[in-house]
Amino acid sequence: MPPRRRSRSSTGPRGSTRVLVAPSPPSPLPEGEGEELLSWFRAQGWTPFPFQLEAWAAYARGQSGLIHVPTGAGKTYAAYIGPLAEVARHRQKGLQILYVTPLRAVSRDIELALNAPLSALDADITVESRTGDTSSSVRRRQRERLPEVLITTPESLSLLLCNERAHELFASLRCVIVDEWHELLGSKRGTQVELALARLRRFSPALRTWALSATLANLDEAARAAVGPHVTPAFIRAGLDRPVRVETLLPDSVDAFPWAGHLGFSMLRKVADWLDPERSTLLFTNTRSQAERWYEGLRFLHPEWEDILALHHGSIDREARERVEGGLKDGSVRLVVATSSLDLGVDFGPVERVVQVASPKGIARTLQRAGRSAHRPGATAQLLFVPTHALELVEMSAAREALAHGEVEPRAPLRQPLDVLAQHLVTCALGGGFTRDALLAEVRDTLAYQQLSEEDFDRTLVLVTEGGPTLRAYPQFRRVQRLEDRYVVADTRVARLHRLNVGTIASNASVELRYLKGARLGTVEESFVSRLRPGDTFLFAGKRLEFRLMKDLTAYVRAAKERASATPRWSGGRLPLSGSLATAVRRTFHAVRHGHFDNAELEAARPVLEAQARLSRLPSRDACLAELCQTREGHHLFLYPFEGRLVHEGLAALLALRLTRLQKATFSLAVNDYGLELLTSSPFPFEEALRPALFTRERLVEDILESVNLGELARRQFRDVARVAGLVLPGLPGARKSTRQVQASAGLLYDVFARYEPDHLLLAQARREVLEQHFEQVRLVSTLERLEGTPLECVHVPRPTPLGFPLVVERIGATVSNESLAERVERMKERWLREDSLSA
Amino acid sequence: MELRPERALYWPEGGVLAVADLHWGKPESFHQHGIPLPPEVLEDDLARLSAALHATGARRLLLVGDLVHSRRGLTPEVVRRVADWRTGHDVEMVLVRGNHDRHLDALPAAWRMELLEPHLDEGPFRFAHHPEPARGHYVWAGHLHPTVRLSSGADRLRLPCFHLGTDVGVLPAFSAFTGGMDIRPRAGERLFAIAGDSVVEVPSQRASRNA
Repeated sequence: MPPRRRSRSSTGPRGSTRVLVAPSPPSPLPEGEGEELLSWFRAQGWTPFPFQLEAWAAYARGQSGLIHVPTGAGKTYAAYIGPLAEVARHRQKGLQILYVTPLRAVSRDIELALNAPLSALDADITVESRTGDTSSSVRRRQRERLPEVLITTPESLSLLLCNERAHELFASLRCVIVDEWHELLGSKRGTQVELALARLRRFSPALRTWALSATLANLDEAARAAVGPHVTPAFIRAGLDRPVRVETLLPDSVDAFPWAGHLGFSMLRKVADWLDPERSTLLFTNTRSQAERWYEGLRFLHPEWEDILALHHGSIDREARERVEGGLKDGSVRLVVATSSLDLGVDFGPVERVVQVASPKGIARTLQRAGRSAHRPGATAQLLFVPTHALELVEMSAAREALAHGEVEPRAPLRQPLDVLAQHLVTCALGGGFTRDALLAEVRDTLAYQQLSEEDFDRTLVLVTEGGPTLRAYPQFRRVQRLEDRYVVADTRVARLHRLNVGTIASNASVELRYLKGARLGTVEESFVSRLRPGDTFLFAGKRLEFRLMKDLTAYVRAAKERASATPRWSGGRLPLSGSLATAVRRTFHAVRHGHFDNAELEAARPVLEAQARLSRLPSRDACLAELCQTREGHHLFLYPFEGRLVHEGLAALLALRLTRLQKATFSLAVNDYGLELLTSSPFPFEEALRPALFTRERLVEDILESVNLGELARRQFRDVARVAGLVLPGLPGARKSTRQVQASAGLLYDVFARYEPDHLLLAQARREVLEQHFEQVRLVSTLERLEGTPLECVHVPRPTPLGFPLVVERIGATVSNESLAERVERMKERWLREDSLSA
Repeated sequence: MELRPERALYWPEGGVLAVADLHWGKPESFHQHGIPLPPEVLEDDLARLSAALHATGARRLLLVGDLVHSRRGLTPEVVRRVADWRTGHDVEMVLVRGNHDRHLDALPAAWRMELLEPHLDEGPFRFAHHPEPARGHYVWAGHLHPTVRLSSGADRLRLPCFHLGTDVGVLPAFSAFTGGMDIRPRAGERLFAIAGDSVVEVPSQRASRNA
C-alpha cells in the first residue's frame, strides 16, 4: 500500500469529514467500546456526521435499512461502527459482521478501512477478505472458522453457502453490510444476494441488513430488496448533495459528410491539449476497445507522458490494474484512461477532474462518474463531456438539462428469475441440504420471489432433481438427490462443477493472453482470437502485440514491431440510452427542429442537424420519422422512435414479423439508441405497410413471442440463462479436461430444447427476459401507443442520412425470415451472380 | 458420388452409404453431469438415417467414426433403442473407429456392427475418421463437423456442409446435436451446403469468414 498523499491524510480511508462545528447529540453507541470508537474517530480529526449518528442509533435499535449518501461521504463507517461496537462489547468469536462488495478488487481497501478502528479497541477481532483472489491456505482455514469480520463478493458468499456446515458458520452473524447496492440491484447478482440474505436470516434470525447505495429513483424498492419484504427499512440520508459542473469540449468544426458527423479522433488532440498532468484526471470511455484506442492515441501525441499515463479496464491482468490504482493513490500516475472498471469502489482521493468520452448513456451514470472527482464532501464535482460523433452533442446537451432537473433513473430489481433459483437450490442442497417447505418459505422471504407460486418452485425443483418434466425423467440424471424428505447433493462431480459455476455474471468465452515467454497480459474474447491468424497484430493493454498461436485456451503473443492493425472488441457492456436521457434527447431534437439552437453544443452540431433537415427531416416530438432508401445493399426502412437500443431491438423484431405477414421476405435488423433499420434484398412496399395497424398493441405478447422464436433474441438470451442454471459450463482452467465431453454451446442446447421441449422452464425464462429486458415491455407498450397514435413522417431519401448512417454501420446480424433455407440460399446465389456479372 | 441432404454420402457403384460423427449417447453423457437434455435427438437421427438407407437402397452403411459420444453415455437405454432400430435394417454396418470411440472395447452385440481401424479402403476410396490424405486413394472423412457461413446483402446463414478438397472430402456431422467449424475453402476446394431438403453448391469465395 503506497503512502497516501498529504492532502488525503485529513480525510482518512473511505473518507469522512474534518469540519463540523455543530454540537454533537448524545452518542448512540454503547458505553465503553462505543466511547473508545468515538474517541478514535475524533483522534482522526473527524466529528461524526448527523447521518452517521443516525445510522448508529438505528442499528442499536435493532433496525435494518438503507444508507444513501454520495460516494466518499463516509457511508462505510456509518454502517460499520454500530455493529463493530456491539461485536467489541460481546467478545464472541466467530463471524459477526459480513461486508459484501460487488468488486473484489476493492476488498483490500475495505479491509484497511475496516481494520483501522480496531486499534482503538481492546478486543480480539479479526478482519479478513474472502474473494476469488484469496489464497487456498487462507480458504482452508476459513472453512473451519471464519473471522469476526469478513469481506466478500456475492459469488464468494454463495460459495460459502455451499459449505456443508454453512448453518454453523453463519449462526453467530449479527450484521450484513451490502456496499454499492445500486450496482447489484437490477441484475441477477442482486437476486443472488437477495437469496443469500434470506438464507442468512434463517441461519441467524436476529440478523440486521444495511445496504449502501447511491441515489436512485426507487430507493424504497431498493431498501426492501435488501432487508426482505417482511421488515420495514430505515432510511438514512446525508443531505450532502454535491454540486456537479458539466461542460462539453466542442469540436472546432463538424463536417456533415462523408462520415455523417463522425468526429473520430479529431477530438483526441483537443483532449490532449486540455489535459494537464498537474491535475490528476480520469478519462472514462464506454467500451474497452475505445479505451485502448484513446490510450494509444494519447501516448502517441505525448510520448513524454509514458510514466504518468495509464490504462485500466476489466480485461487487463489484475496485478497491472492494481499498479494503476496504487499509482493513482500515491500520485505517481496522473492520467488514467478507464472503462466502468473504475466506476466503483476504489477511493482515488486526489482525482481532480473527470472526462467522459462519448455519450454518457444515463443520468445516474453521469453523476457516478462525475462523483469520482474532488472526492470530498461539499466539493464541486467536475465533468467534461467529449463527443465522438456530432449527434452526441445533442445527447450531451440533453444530459445537462436532465441533470439540472434531477431526472435520475430507477433500477428495478428482477422478479423471479428461475435460473438463479435453480442455481440457489443446488447451492442449498450442497450446503447442508434442505426440505421443500422450509426452503419455499425462505425463498419467499425475498422481494424477488415473494410472489413465487408453488408450481414454479416445484418445477424448478424438478429441473434440478430429475432433469426434465416429471413424467419423463432421465434415469441417469444426477444433480440434486432426494433422501426421504431432504434434498442433497451426493455426487462429487456435480458438487465440483457447481462450485466452478456459481455466480450469475454473464461472460463470453474468454481466453487468456500471454507472452510466449509466459508473462500474463489479461483476457480477450475467444471470438476475437478465433479471427486472428498468426502474424496479425492488435492492441491490448496499450501494447502492440503480434498473435503467434493458440493453445489450451491461451493465446500466445509477442511484442509487435509494426503498428497494430486491430483492437479487440468485447461484446456486452454496451449500455442502452436510459429512459430519462432518451426522453430528454427527444425534447432536444424537437426544440432544434423549431430552430432553438439554445446552447454551444447544439450550435456546434448545427452542420449535421441542418444536413439531416435538408436530406430528410429533424425528428419531432409529435410524429415519428421514417426514412426509405435504396442502396447497393438493398431496400432500407429507417425508423426513429428514440427509445434506446433495447426497445428498438424488440420493436425491430416485432415489425419485421408483422411485415413478413404482408409479403414473404427476409429482413436483417439493425438498431441503435435512436432508431432501427430493416433491410431486405428484394423490393418491399414499406410505405403502404407503415400504417397505424402495424403498431397495434393487440396480440402484442403473442406476436413478440412469435418474433422471438423466429429471431435470434431468445437464443442469445438463453446463453446467460443456461450458464446461470448450470447447463453450460464455463471454460474454466482446471475444469477443462474433465468437462470436455459435456461442453456444448448454449445455441445448440437452445435448438435442442426448442425442438423437443418447447415449454421448458428455462426457455420460458429466456423468453420472459427478452420480453422484460429487450422489449422493456412497459416501455415498448407506451412506444407502440405513441407510434399508433401519432402520424408517421415518411420521407424518401437518396442515401442514408446523418441519423441513418450509424445504423448502416452497426448491423447486429439478426434476421427475421419466413422463407425456407433453400429459397434463401438460391436467392443468395442469384444475387452473387448478378454482382459477379456487374463487376466483370 | 451423391451428396445427400440427410447429411450422408452415397456411392452407388459400391452400394455404400457413409455418415460421420453421430455422437450417440451425447444427451445421456450430459445427464450424468447433472445437465438435463432431451434424449429424443437419437430418435430423430435414427429416423434420418433410415430415410437415407431407404432412399438409396444402400447395401452397406459405413459409420466414419465418433459413433458413440462417450462410454458413460452408452446407457442400457441407448443400447436398446439402437438395437431396436437395427432390427429394421437388413444391411451390413461397419464402424471405422474415431477419437470418441477409442474407449470402446467392442460394440454392443445387438447392434451387429463390425469395428474397424484405422480406415477402410474400397476401390478408389479410403474411409477414415481423420481427414488425412492417403497415397493412391481419395479419402472420405469426418471429425471436423464442417459448417459454412453465407451472407448476401441482408441475409445471413450458417449451414452444415460437405467440404471437398483435392485429396480429402469431409462429411458434415450427422448428428443434429453437434456444433461446427466454419470452413474457408482454399483454391480448388468445393463446398456443398445442406439447406433443408436440398444440397446446394456454394461458390467457395462466398464462404465468409465472420459473417
